[in-house]
Amino acid sequence: MNRTWNVVRMQLVNKQTYIAVPVIVLAGAFVITLAIYGIIASAGVEGPMYGGGAQAPLWYFAVVGAQALTLTFPFSQAMSVTRRAFYLGTLLTAVMTAAILAVIFVLGGLLEQATGGWGMNGYFFYLPWIWEAGPAGGGLFFFTLALLFFVVGFWGATIFKRWGTAVLTTVILAIALVLVGVLWLIGRLEAWGEVGAWLMTSGAAGLSLWGLVLVAVLAGTSYLTLRRSTP
Amino acid sequence: MTSVIEVKSLTKRYRDTLAVDDISFSIEKDTIYGLLGRNGAGKTTVMSILTAQNFATRGEVRVFGEDPYENAHVLSRMCFVRESQKYPEDATPRHAFRIARLFFPNWDQDFAERLIAEFQLPLKKTIKKLSRGQLSAVGVIIGLAARAEITFFDEPYLGLDAVARQIFYDRLLEDYAEHPRTVILSSHLIDEVANLLERVIVIDHGRIVMDEDTEAVRDRAANIVGDTAAVEAFVAGREVIHRESLGRVSSVTVLGALSAADRAEIADAGLDVTPVSLQQLIVRSTQHSADAGLEEGALR
Repeated sequence: MNRTWNVVRMQLVNKQTYIAVPVIVLAGAFVITLAIYGIIASAGVEGPMYGGGAQAPLWYFAVVGAQALTLTFPFSQAMSVTRRAFYLGTLLTAVMTAAILAVIFVLGGLLEQATGGWGMNGYFFYLPWIWEAGPAGGGLFFFTLALLFFVVGFWGATIFKRWGTAVLTTVILAIALVLVGVLWLIGRLEAWGEVGAWLMTSGAAGLSLWGLVLVAVLAGTSYLTLRRSTP
Repeated sequence: MTSVIEVKSLTKRYRDTLAVDDISFSIEKDTIYGLLGRNGAGKTTVMSILTAQNFATRGEVRVFGEDPYENAHVLSRMCFVRESQKYPEDATPRHAFRIARLFFPNWDQDFAERLIAEFQLPLKKTIKKLSRGQLSAVGVIIGLAARAEITFFDEPYLGLDAVARQIFYDRLLEDYAEHPRTVILSSHLIDEVANLLERVIVIDHGRIVMDEDTEAVRDRAANIVGDTAAVEAFVAGREVIHRESLGRVSSVTVLGALSAADRAEIADAGLDVTPVSLQQLIVRSTQHSADAGLEEGALR
């Protein structure tokens, strides 16, 4: 356990990767979004205004997930860390940072509700659909999304590291094909109405739980791949 | 003597190349080994498998009597920073040392700082911007300051200038004297590290061609130098592995230790004996075995 915790500390030694850059990305997206809201509001538009800028740091999580593997894994091997300890410590780091990000989003959303969207009815953190199940539901949604991005990056990188670009590309294409097949099947069964209804009834919180299932699947398969990976 | 590493019939095959071909050897505790061989001979592969960074195709590896794979108890007593080591994105040497301190129980921070000063290593530059020599210095400092019970150095001198190389060799010997441990130093420049080594393992085309005490290797051959006719008379009937001559003077390398009678004969004939450098001897005996293999092949 001690060595697993040391992996967390290893991942966090360079504060830039997990702290400075996400904060800069988030703050930058926030400032730009508010500036645009300001322009729109000054033009006399009443709102409410919602934006997608808040997803910017989430994408960065995919990059961090990939780099955690391609660069930090070989170094962890030189530090005589077992693959298991590396894996657990790295995922623990991701869970912790995703949780911090979710807390920031929830606090930001609460602040936006309290100030009526920064006094101009413009929302960066708060999205009504995501907040349907309250702040906790919103927090769970962002936590899951951040973790999912990280795990997708990590999962892709483990496949790349073990089998190379050709296999990774093939796997991604195969998954895309399966998804297209599912879309076709839904259309063929004329089930889009039901799918839409299901999405509405599960809500953001329900989808988050499905997201966590996907996280578990990707994380689990990553471990199986990592167990036989070489630096 | 107790052995800390036991290797039996180790084979590693990459798709179409046989990197390591059925080798067996053991590594004794508190000894400095040279793992010598040409580029691509299989040195790094062997070290990677011993530290469970890579996987054997066949064969068995025991470190401190256990399988090192996913074995934190065993791994934490070893340190192997490879020659082409990757570091985390945007990491600086300072970050790398801070991390190494977390993982190596015997880490000596004062020693690390002294080495950093001696190698004049910039701590705040990112590692990907370091020169080849500075990159080697990062690996060397981690290897030395970690004081792991088994430490591997993978071509540690690459890019280091003469002063820095000497610092490495001096500090390694000093620290080894104070804190005995097992050191395995891989090198394709044999004379560069010859004076450090107590035992040499020479690997060629994935096979071990020599596994001996350095002293015994040195005694294995001698250069006989002097008047060509006298030299030829002395070496007649002996196994000659190399001949050089300039005018009437010849230098002939013969295999086999010289007896007292031999030495007397040499002195009487007015000949001289000069030691064969480890590098010469290994190069010649590996060439020798390669040539022998060739002839054998031609005969079939």
